[in-house]
Amino acid sequence: MVTRRKAVAAGIAVLAAAMAATPALAADKVVKIGMDLSLTGADSEGALRIRNGIMMAIDAANEGNGIPGYRIEPVILDDGTPTSGQYDPAQAATNARKMVADKDVVGALGPEMSGAGKAMAPILSMGGLATITPTSTNPDISDPKFAQQFRPAGKPIYFRTVTTDAFQGPNMANFYADALKVKSVYILDDSGAYGVGMADAFEKQAGKKGINVAGRDRLDPKSADYTAILTKIKSLNPDAIYYGGVGQAGVKLAKQAYDIVPKMIKGGGDGVVGPAMLTAVGYPANEGWYGTIASPHVVGDQKAQQFVDAYFKKYDKAADDYAITAYDAALVMIDAIKRVAASGQPVTREAVRDAVQSSNVPTIQGVVSFDENGDLKDRTVSVFQIQQDKNARPDDVSRQYHYIGVAPQS
Amino acid sequence: MTTFDLLLQQTINGLSLGAMYSLLALGFTLVYGILELINFSHFNVFMIGSFVSLFVLQSFGLSGQEVILTGVPLAGVLLVAFVVTMAFCGGLGVVVERVTLRPLRNVKGPAAMITSIGVSYILFNIILLTVGADSKNFPNPMPAIRWHIGEATLDFRVLLIWAIALLLMGTLYMFVQRSRIGKAMRATAQDAEAARMMGVEVDKVIMMAFFLGSALAGAGGLIFGLYYNFTSFIIGFTAGLRAFTAAVLGGIGNVPGAMVGGVLIGLIEAMGGQFIATAWTDVIIFSILVLVLVFKPAGLFGRIAPNKS
Repeated sequence: MVTRRKAVAAGIAVLAAAMAATPALAADKVVKIGMDLSLTGADSEGALRIRNGIMMAIDAANEGNGIPGYRIEPVILDDGTPTSGQYDPAQAATNARKMVADKDVVGALGPEMSGAGKAMAPILSMGGLATITPTSTNPDISDPKFAQQFRPAGKPIYFRTVTTDAFQGPNMANFYADALKVKSVYILDDSGAYGVGMADAFEKQAGKKGINVAGRDRLDPKSADYTAILTKIKSLNPDAIYYGGVGQAGVKLAKQAYDIVPKMIKGGGDGVVGPAMLTAVGYPANEGWYGTIASPHVVGDQKAQQFVDAYFKKYDKAADDYAITAYDAALVMIDAIKRVAASGQPVTREAVRDAVQSSNVPTIQGVVSFDENGDLKDRTVSVFQIQQDKNARPDDVSRQYHYIGVAPQS
Repeated sequence: MTTFDLLLQQTINGLSLGAMYSLLALGFTLVYGILELINFSHFNVFMIGSFVSLFVLQSFGLSGQEVILTGVPLAGVLLVAFVVTMAFCGGLGVVVERVTLRPLRNVKGPAAMITSIGVSYILFNIILLTVGADSKNFPNPMPAIRWHIGEATLDFRVLLIWAIALLLMGTLYMFVQRSRIGKAMRATAQDAEAARMMGVEVDKVIMMAFFLGSALAGAGGLIFGLYYNFTSFIIGFTAGLRAFTAAVLGGIGNVPGAMVGGVLIGLIEAMGGQFIATAWTDVIIFSILVLVLVFKPAGLFGRIAPNKS
């Protein structure tokens, strides 16, 4: 009994000493950066890579005194819910409200998913909180046509370190027509905001390129069985399938497509580029799938190598392009806060938003700057294909996805 | 593909789906027949079955689609997987009944049903929190033998799934019809009070219904994994809801009705995907449910316990 009490007393003493020993940190002002990712559900693996990328930048800034006088505190929120099995727009809206309600949150990163972004954007706009998404690509959110809906307060608050599906979908249609010589295609989507938008954008451009659209159907991501629709596609015998959507339906589609239409050309957007397509689908069912990334391909680039190595060392996982766009998004946000702090004015949301808007930040993917709507000025879309590399880890996105090239711009 | 081949292929697809729905529907029907309880925890007993079988197969060193077994090793591995999964899920069903539902046996109203929804969510979250949220690659150790009938293809795997499902359902049917405890189950379904007075141990009968239904759900989970080569913590709800519809379609409480109902729902899903659109699957299935309930409230084959008030 006595010994236990002694141990407790000693523990308290240590704790008190530790608290006394950190006055330097306590003197720093805290700024919070909100983060919304889909950490629960089918896309959780990808979400972790994004979070890790962001944390690389935040940790480096905190350790290296990146913003003198300030310490960054990440507020990580999850918009995935068990019942939806993937991102849930309602949860994303709740998270946006949480961020807006916390006065210390001066900027945000994410969301991962466009369906979440559509729910969050109006709330962030009314709260005056700028966010930089490293992955969500639905064009409507930053399109001035929908300003009423997605930025009711006026100024752009939805910035991106990727380009949008207004380029991702159509450029892939160009790639299908020009590089793969596809003459007819069956288009599927996963009923989500991102998936439907991607498939629509692809379909429109496919028509312009003279590709015959053999049909269009919508998958229920919670349903397990896509054999009926795949059998129908088999009977129509198009040259290719294009899938707009994310992992939950994509994984099952890829598996069943391998059984029913193994030789057909299959591809999608950035929703089919990620660890789930590798490990959950498995080889060889996933082999040959094409996918795009809404950013220039930088993994393997000299500049990126240093980041990739450090990332691997820290997380024991291979970084992919979206770990890099996430890191870059965090760099841009940190840079914006730093510029505000350095100018001597108070670090407010409004000041940070304005600073983000005028960004001109050298990052791994190149210099990041935004147009008047918050979209990335660089419109590059990169095409990849899954080609198994047996010497690499099965879940290593950077090695199992083989870089094909830049998708042709229209 | 000719129209005939296409129809044949979609029939094959539909029957495979139907086999799973039937196995699941039987669990709803067995419990409902005896307790008049819609047991929603059944959804996720099925899901847990797919994970238990995943672990069993993994313990044999099977992962992904690379290891292919044939002959005796394949039969042995599958036998062990089915026995372990069914025993585990059967046991789980009994525990769920004993711990959460028996105390509410004599409570009137929807208390027991609501409890079963709660149990369903608990099971669901246990898997989510322990195994993780991502989709899992389910091993398929079966050789890729295929037969071509015109342009339609029939996989060995599909044939085996049908055979196993038929065997299980046939055994259950014979058990309910012929065995002593099966007779007791039917007696309890007709009139629990009278059965008790005739010396039937009602608690034991109810336990048996949960065990059998849950074991079949476990088998359904394993078949799901083998057929789709994937599993995830979320698979229970969609499959469970459709299987429940199958049970109602066939006449809830009616064992052969559940089997036929499952196959019908599977075929409807496949044909709907072909001739209407996959996007409309749920609308089609649940419209049929509504129509059946309006015009034939007892289901296509009627309830098996007509004597109950």
